[in-house]
Amino acid sequence: MKQLLRLTHPIHLVSGVTIWGIWFVAIYAGLSVACSVAPPDPERDMLTGINIGVGLATLFTTLLLSGLTWASVAAGRRAEPRRERFFAYASAGIFLFSAGGTLFVGYPIIFLPPCL
Amino acid sequence: MSDTKDATLTPEVRRLHKGMAEVWANPRGLGALTVVNHTSVGLRFMVTGAIFFLIGGLLAMLIRTQLAFPDNDFMSHETYNQVFTMHGTVMMFLFAIPILEGLAIYMIPKMIGARDLVCPRLSAFGYFCYLFGGIILVSSLLFEMAPASGWFMYTPLSSGDYAPGRGSDFWLLGITFVEISALSAGVELVVSILRTRTEGMPLHKMPLFAWYILAMALMIVVGFPPLILGSILLELERATGMPFFDVAGGGDPVLWAHLFWLFGHPEVYIIFLPGAGIVSTLIPVFARRPIVGYGWVVAAIVIMGFVSFGLWVHHMFTLGIPQLALAFFSAASMLVAIPTGIQIFVWLSTLWLGRPVMSLPMLWIIGFLVIFVLGGLTGVMLALVPFNWQVHDTHFVVAHMHYVLVGGMLFPLIAGLYYWLPLVSGRMPSARLGKWSFWLIFLGFNLTFLIMHWTGLLGMRRRVFTYDTAMGWDIYNLISSVGGFMMSAGVALLILDVALHFRFGKKASQNPWNADGLEWAMSKPPTPYNFVSLPRLDTRHPLWDDPELPRTITEGRHGLSTIDHGRRETWGSDALTGKLREVVHLPTNSWWPFFAALALAMVCVCLLIRIYPLAAVATLVAVVLLLRWSWENGAHPRAAPDSTVSPGQPPLHSRTMNGPGVWTMSVTHLANGSLFLSLLFGWFYLWTVAPEWQMPETSPLSPSMLVGAGVSLTLGSAWLARLVRRLRRDNDAGLGGGMYLAAGLGALQTVLLAAVIWQAELAPTETAHDATLLVALLYVLIHALLGGLLCLLQGLRVGYGFVGVHAPLEPVVVLRFWYYHLVVYWVLFVAIWAMPTILGGGT
Repeated sequence: MKQLLRLTHPIHLVSGVTIWGIWFVAIYAGLSVACSVAPPDPERDMLTGINIGVGLATLFTTLLLSGLTWASVAAGRRAEPRRERFFAYASAGIFLFSAGGTLFVGYPIIFLPPCL
Repeated sequence: MSDTKDATLTPEVRRLHKGMAEVWANPRGLGALTVVNHTSVGLRFMVTGAIFFLIGGLLAMLIRTQLAFPDNDFMSHETYNQVFTMHGTVMMFLFAIPILEGLAIYMIPKMIGARDLVCPRLSAFGYFCYLFGGIILVSSLLFEMAPASGWFMYTPLSSGDYAPGRGSDFWLLGITFVEISALSAGVELVVSILRTRTEGMPLHKMPLFAWYILAMALMIVVGFPPLILGSILLELERATGMPFFDVAGGGDPVLWAHLFWLFGHPEVYIIFLPGAGIVSTLIPVFARRPIVGYGWVVAAIVIMGFVSFGLWVHHMFTLGIPQLALAFFSAASMLVAIPTGIQIFVWLSTLWLGRPVMSLPMLWIIGFLVIFVLGGLTGVMLALVPFNWQVHDTHFVVAHMHYVLVGGMLFPLIAGLYYWLPLVSGRMPSARLGKWSFWLIFLGFNLTFLIMHWTGLLGMRRRVFTYDTAMGWDIYNLISSVGGFMMSAGVALLILDVALHFRFGKKASQNPWNADGLEWAMSKPPTPYNFVSLPRLDTRHPLWDDPELPRTITEGRHGLSTIDHGRRETWGSDALTGKLREVVHLPTNSWWPFFAALALAMVCVCLLIRIYPLAAVATLVAVVLLLRWSWENGAHPRAAPDSTVSPGQPPLHSRTMNGPGVWTMSVTHLANGSLFLSLLFGWFYLWTVAPEWQMPETSPLSPSMLVGAGVSLTLGSAWLARLVRRLRRDNDAGLGGGMYLAAGLGALQTVLLAAVIWQAELAPTETAHDATLLVALLYVLIHALLGGLLCLLQGLRVGYGFVGVHAPLEPVVVLRFWYYHLVVYWVLFVAIWAMPTILGGGT
């Protein structure tokens, strides 16, 4: 189990995109439920609780994934067997993509109201 | 040349080959139905898929004939609806997925140095499910009862009110049956790739094709269950009136769209990834250098596999979803261009840095690059919401889809066909016929579908059966039709080339393309056992690094080269490092897969003609057959009664506690979990979104009986875990009695759940709420019943001496099943009882 937490383990090939997937499902489901249960006044612009909530989740996830990218690169540098280095660097690339993807998918909250 | 007749081999080695040939022999005649070997089953999948491709192609030509001229009365609109629905259905479900699975089933063991897949009987079962399901579905055309609601069967168009005949039922039941096949292949490909690679082949050095198939198989396992659930719900609605998709009853037709596209969008990548795998295999061979950026490709595969699940709503941009949600999916749709771009640049870089040689397979690869890049570009256009609204449901979308699917799948598939044909037949195809075929298909395809972009931009809707000449679409449609027939001529030449090459093709050399892959180390055509000895490999390019490998393998100089025990065997290795862990003994030819699939086909037909008592009997027969099949496992005399292995070899897998069976059960539960999550999604979706959702003030379910069932499940799981812990300590005292006790707890849970359903007095045909509750309760009831039955069988097997300290694997597998059920049961309890009780019901 402890081994799974090391960033040189191949499980981290999928952990970055899994975090991205959980965030993506959470913001889409959260948006849908919030718009269904408590939609903000249609006259209001982007400064709604929903956009702020999605924005905070986006920022947190981006930072988490960015940190994991950096940590994976560091783990790759330290890794001795070639196999471990391979998985650490490949995972770093996927973490980086996931961080960028989170920011790219989440940034429309800046210019779109939530429930229209 | 058959290895047994190779005059250069010593008599001892020839005896070894003869022994292998006897143990791995495929019966002929009626006995051919018992064959489970991956080479035969893979070929069957591919040949059957090719036949369905011809049927789908014929339907396409009927469509193009109808659309060639304005106001054409070649077909009525009713017939046209059936033809385009069946064209899409046949191509997607009966051709694309099965033929790629067939290729994977055929190639993967050969590439990773295994003798067979890890569950050969499951492969054979999957094939028969596919064959019978395909026949049932296609027979609807002969009865003039084919589905007519389009290949994605949107409700309410496919519901009872608007599609009252049997057409939709043929689709729903036939496709669900075929998907059993896809899932079974998906599960065993995952486990085979992870656990049966040859000695020393670590994960990061396995062939790229295996990475692609691993991703494809996992995507099938996770991606298909939403559609299976949707099909079950829609069939229940059509057959019994449960209103899952009916607004008046508290359902919502948009739920179907979600469930369909949760499957449907990943499906496109499930089809593309093996195609890309072929490209990543062939380009280095013909560029004569290793691929540039192996790690980049692995990362791109993983990203593509995941991101493809986050795009499903881009098929639903016109359904009235909030703009912000549209923006999320629009952005996610653009993201997928990144892993695609990585792969395209890797392929181009490999060609740029290599010394490419032009050959017939490469011609198809170049065709792929051109067509797929164009399809990808229109894909990015369609990801933009305003443009998507503009061209939604027009021929532009049809053109885009064909560029992606034909470019991304058919062209690489034909490249792979020409590349691996010498392996299958031992002969080379004709370069001249092959080039003619390529140019006819390539030009015909572009003539058909490039023009179709413009037809779409001019406003021609998809699925209209004719048009007025005043619309100005005449010439474009005529050109598309001419192109379509040109493409058909190319396909005819392709078939001719393949057929003729078996008789007239030049004999292929040992490694005709100077390839690096292990598959070229075997005899041509391959023997059923693939390799008489299994080499230790620590390289991505076995044949480039050791050109003598074919000879040394044939001479039996590598591992697992004994056959006097009479078992079919392959290595079981560590998923990560490739170190040896077990000798996996594989089942031999068997009738069970055929008869089990036949019984399920009976279930399907009985449901179709709505003779439900007979369907129940057929289901019972199918279950009995499947359980009887499971009886012949582990230490059973027909499996491996003798556990002796050669000195220095690891133990037989059934004599360990972490054999591939444990992995198979875990991967199966990924599929099962995906189905469960889809059900949960449906529950919450209807609860929060359906406009007429009706939930009672208090839950109709008895909390005491629900908790009682949960407690018996929890106790049973804990008890089983204790038995397994004792087995780990080499103690099997009381194992049989313990299994019977767990079976009793399973039975108690079944009875309590049945009582919950009985006492709740649900009205499933009145409200979607009650209908969903009933399906959810039946889901856990079936698991409770099956959990009890498995423990009962384990108790019997302990009595027969098939399970115990000497063969401890099976209780571990059964425990996994109970653990899965334990988790989903309590999650469901929270979702269907605790949350409604806490949050309150009401409408």
